[in-house]
Amino acid sequence: MEQLFKPGADAIFRLVLFIVIFSAAAALAVAAALSGSAFVTGTTIAARQPVPFSHKHHAGELGIDCRYCHTTVETEATAGLPPTYTCMTCHSQIWTGSPMLAPVRDSLARNQPLHWTRLNRLPDYVYFDHAIHIAKGIGCSSCHGQVQEMQLTYAVQSFTMGFCLDCHRAPQNNIRPQDEIFDMAWTPPADQAERGRALLAHYHIRPPAELTDCSICHR
Amino acid sequence: MPPRPELLRLWRGLDDPAHDPALRRFLRAEFPAAAALAEGPDRRSFLRLMAASLALAGLTGCDDAEDGHAQEVPYVRQPERMMPGRLMRFASATLLDGFANGVTVHTRNGRPLKIEGNDAHPWSRGGTDIFAQASVLGLYDPYRSQSVCSFDRISDWQAFGAAVTGWFAALREGRGAGLRLLTGPLTSPTTLAAVAAMRAAYPEMHWHSHAAVGRAALREGTVQAFGRRLETRWRFDRARVVVSLDGDFLDPGPQQVGVARDWIAARQAGARNGMLPSLHAVATAPGLTSARADFHAPARPDAIMTLADGLIADVSGTGGSDDGGSDALAEWRRRAAAALRGARGASIVLAGVAQPPSVQVAVHRLNAMLGNLGRTVFFTEPAEAEAESLASLTGAMARGEVGTLVMLDVNPAYDAPADLDFTEHLAKVRLRIHAGLYADETARRCDWHIPLAHPLESWGDARSLDGTVSLLQPTIAPLYGGRSVAEILSLLTAPQAPRGGHDLLRAHWQESVDEAAWHEALLGGFLPGTSFAEEPVAAQQVAAAPAAPRPPRAAGLHVLFRPDPGIWDGSFASNAWLQEMPRPLTKLVWENALSVAPALAAREEIAQGDVVVLEADGRRVTGPVWIMPGQADDTVVVTLGYGRTALDLLAPETGYDAYVLRTAVSPWQIAGAALQRTGRRVELATAQFHNTMEGHDFVRVQRIGASPVGDTAAWTAPHFYDESKKESDGRAWGMVIDLDACIGCNACAVACQAENNVAVVGREEVMAGREMHWLRIDRYFAGPAQNPDTHFQPVPCMHCEDAPCEVGCPVEATLHDHEGLNLMVYNRCVGTRACSGYCPYKVRRFNYYDYSAAAPPSEQQQRNPEVTVRARGVMEKCTYCVQRIAAARIVSDRTGAPIPLDSVRTACQNACPTRAIHFGDLARGDSDVAAARRDPRHYALLGELNVRPRTTYLAKWAPPDAAPPPPAG
Repeated sequence: MEQLFKPGADAIFRLVLFIVIFSAAAALAVAAALSGSAFVTGTTIAARQPVPFSHKHHAGELGIDCRYCHTTVETEATAGLPPTYTCMTCHSQIWTGSPMLAPVRDSLARNQPLHWTRLNRLPDYVYFDHAIHIAKGIGCSSCHGQVQEMQLTYAVQSFTMGFCLDCHRAPQNNIRPQDEIFDMAWTPPADQAERGRALLAHYHIRPPAELTDCSICHR
Repeated sequence: MPPRPELLRLWRGLDDPAHDPALRRFLRAEFPAAAALAEGPDRRSFLRLMAASLALAGLTGCDDAEDGHAQEVPYVRQPERMMPGRLMRFASATLLDGFANGVTVHTRNGRPLKIEGNDAHPWSRGGTDIFAQASVLGLYDPYRSQSVCSFDRISDWQAFGAAVTGWFAALREGRGAGLRLLTGPLTSPTTLAAVAAMRAAYPEMHWHSHAAVGRAALREGTVQAFGRRLETRWRFDRARVVVSLDGDFLDPGPQQVGVARDWIAARQAGARNGMLPSLHAVATAPGLTSARADFHAPARPDAIMTLADGLIADVSGTGGSDDGGSDALAEWRRRAAAALRGARGASIVLAGVAQPPSVQVAVHRLNAMLGNLGRTVFFTEPAEAEAESLASLTGAMARGEVGTLVMLDVNPAYDAPADLDFTEHLAKVRLRIHAGLYADETARRCDWHIPLAHPLESWGDARSLDGTVSLLQPTIAPLYGGRSVAEILSLLTAPQAPRGGHDLLRAHWQESVDEAAWHEALLGGFLPGTSFAEEPVAAQQVAAAPAAPRPPRAAGLHVLFRPDPGIWDGSFASNAWLQEMPRPLTKLVWENALSVAPALAAREEIAQGDVVVLEADGRRVTGPVWIMPGQADDTVVVTLGYGRTALDLLAPETGYDAYVLRTAVSPWQIAGAALQRTGRRVELATAQFHNTMEGHDFVRVQRIGASPVGDTAAWTAPHFYDESKKESDGRAWGMVIDLDACIGCNACAVACQAENNVAVVGREEVMAGREMHWLRIDRYFAGPAQNPDTHFQPVPCMHCEDAPCEVGCPVEATLHDHEGLNLMVYNRCVGTRACSGYCPYKVRRFNYYDYSAAAPPSEQQQRNPEVTVRARGVMEKCTYCVQRIAAARIVSDRTGAPIPLDSVRTACQNACPTRAIHFGDLARGDSDVAAARRDPRHYALLGELNVRPRTTYLAKWAPPDAAPPPPAG
């Protein structure tokens, strides 16, 4: 009886096997990379806004405190967006004729709110509270990045559950003293491991097992 | 071994002892609710399901705006103290038939979301009822009337103003001759002032008032007994015996919240001192009052007067006359009479709104003879103002004397007694104006319909039963441009210069309340010191009055009219929460039935669900039969509120319209009716047989003086779990439900629905066992079907410490946190329903369809943003209001102060009018819930399972001389 397979069949089989496994792995890797990419998550992409508001100019160059506009960040779940009135406290005096600011003046004149595009977004089943994070030593830049350098604002984090859990499992890597919360250029100091442990005790931060209870974020 | 408590032989419905094979199969199925799915869909439903799944799969790709981004919209000018998402509280009141119940309205982002109690309010004292809880849904009801209509055509206020200006100017010329005003019962001082102002402008105007569930018999009773209109009030804390002759003080109604609180408080105080005040009740139709009675008996309606006379004879010692009643009734009378004789000056005899004036007079006589007047029974001015009757209005309409009829917040075309022929006479009126929340049956027959503002949208005031004036303040601008009754009266009085609601309200109280006190009153929700003072009555006079003649014993069946325990007289027919709330005794939803006694059903060979024709005086209704244990023989109970014909309603043409049979002469009962079978049988939508737990001692009864029925077995029994591995952060949330304080009113269940975005599923889904209520109230009967004891047991999630559901879940979507909560993580759930199969208490609910997404946009405005809206395919259940715990925890962590003791209150706990639910931190020995756990009556539901439930119960009290329960069988 004649051989069914030629001597090279083994090699072909191995090659096919390799290609199948490799392409499956490659497809998974591409899918994983794509799902976390800016293209899908929208991070690092500045969305169109009614006014090209520059955090770099206001927060970075002028040094206006975050809380001047985001007034409820220390007391409420949401940081809050400034009402048109807040913009106009200054812009009724300066840049009063700027065409860029026309939508703001319009909003005040017609008593119609500005519609901003949301950048940082959480799923509806996640309940994030700004106030408790500020109170427990998490600074703005830990989640929102170097906002003071953004000419047009964009999100730096996609807020996957992994991102939240990384910190809830090891908050000592990210917590800061109260006077550095609004320091947008903050980077962990060399001795963060040691300082973090001291701050954990100072803030009475719960152990990771409790911080990762589902009911901490999901209701 | 702890002593085994007396087992009550409990059953839940008449089909239950009958061991209906279909029911047994239903119960044996692991997932009764999924049985229809397991049978396999036919080709059409398969295709429909596939199409639906495809469409739904496509929808997941959608996002809020066209560019895939949601929007953030800040204010132009930030209102003071208003922060995005922050909870704001406004003291206000909800209304039932014009009577107020002081509440607190919780709003977020400018939207009223939830009604909570107002602890400081002298009448409600923090309690609420189902109507208060459901009123937020009523506000957002998409079926509400949304514009001024003229002959069914959309119009506007300007056109209405223009149309009435000339007409009412002409009326003014004629001193208002031919002008008639018809309103519901009015307790509001401001609205009454507006009526007076209108009468001043039109001196010959007549004002009539109409309520389908009127209190006319009570008023007529005091007029006959004391010569004046009075409200009868009770001091339960001074009474040892309460005898109720078809009384309704625990049933839904304007009295429920305050009176039930008084009764339960007196009962608990008495039980602590070993002197449990006992409730003796006869009832023609079982209600919440007779269900909670220690001694009860059914009685035919014509036997009540005989019974009252018998009690008078017993008490006066002139010897009992033979009442010819059943053995149970005779036995009841002996007990009640003996108890009354032993408690002169410390007893209360009362009767309900459905009893005729003759019985009311007899009750006053009894109280006078017993020396109760001024001690346990006292009288005040009635809260509702006196007006002419509906019958006198229809009389005038028939004579053609009515040229202009203004109907405010009433729907007589639907709920007027049939013998008045209201709609026929309405056609003779030249100008008909109707104002209401809905474009209802009356609106359709009117020249003008104008939308009324919801109580949550308007300024106003109203009195509670005790006279306390509550202030209503708007928590949202009128959604559809409606106006309040007082504003409309002002418009009709002076069409050129109508006044606003706030203006009218403040102007009315300008003289008596200064600015500082007014500010205080708005914050508190009521005007202090406005409750009525006690009115002295001449006790001698009533005691000496001759006895009223007894009604002859009528042949045939008695038809008894009762308001529906959910949708009342039909005014809440559009409220889905109330429609789907299982009625306390029948557990029926979305429809009404003709209730008959078991004996009558047996005699007439009628089975549950048989469609019958009930005929009386040549008028007839057709509906399915419900066999009601404990109902008096030869009676048929019909409930009001269904059979609506207005099309702009949530569920038109469901049930039958009982008003067709009603007469103005005898609004609560008619005799000489007959039943006729049609041969058809329908399935009734009831939540009764779903999720039963059988053969256990669910409800325990603690007789005074008997050994404690509570046990600690559920916490001390050994078990296999490794205790040492359990971590805790020091808090341990727990709940104790006092079954003795529970009156089965359902306020907790509706409050839970409002707080937790619990979906409404509709009649068909309930019939498939898919109701979503996180908190159900189980109702059990014990004893003979003719006269059973009734027990209510609210069952939320037990939050078992060793929860079986957690073992069942393959994806860890249900698990414990460190505060002892059994969590449900919706975003992890893959919908295996294994947890529900593992749950011994059957408190888990599964989203078979995307129930929540189907809700109309306006109703979605009511949703609590602090609670996830569940999608299709996930399991859900009671969370102990985890959002409230989380809010308290965040504040505590942020400020460093511990959570104040007993400050976290669940929605059900806050809603309860009788404070039956205790919730708090078990780890703190001084907490309310820890104290409740130390009560000797404390026991766990299915404690023998050793799952260590965090929700536990306190046994019901029973007087020492109560009949011992029949042995377990």
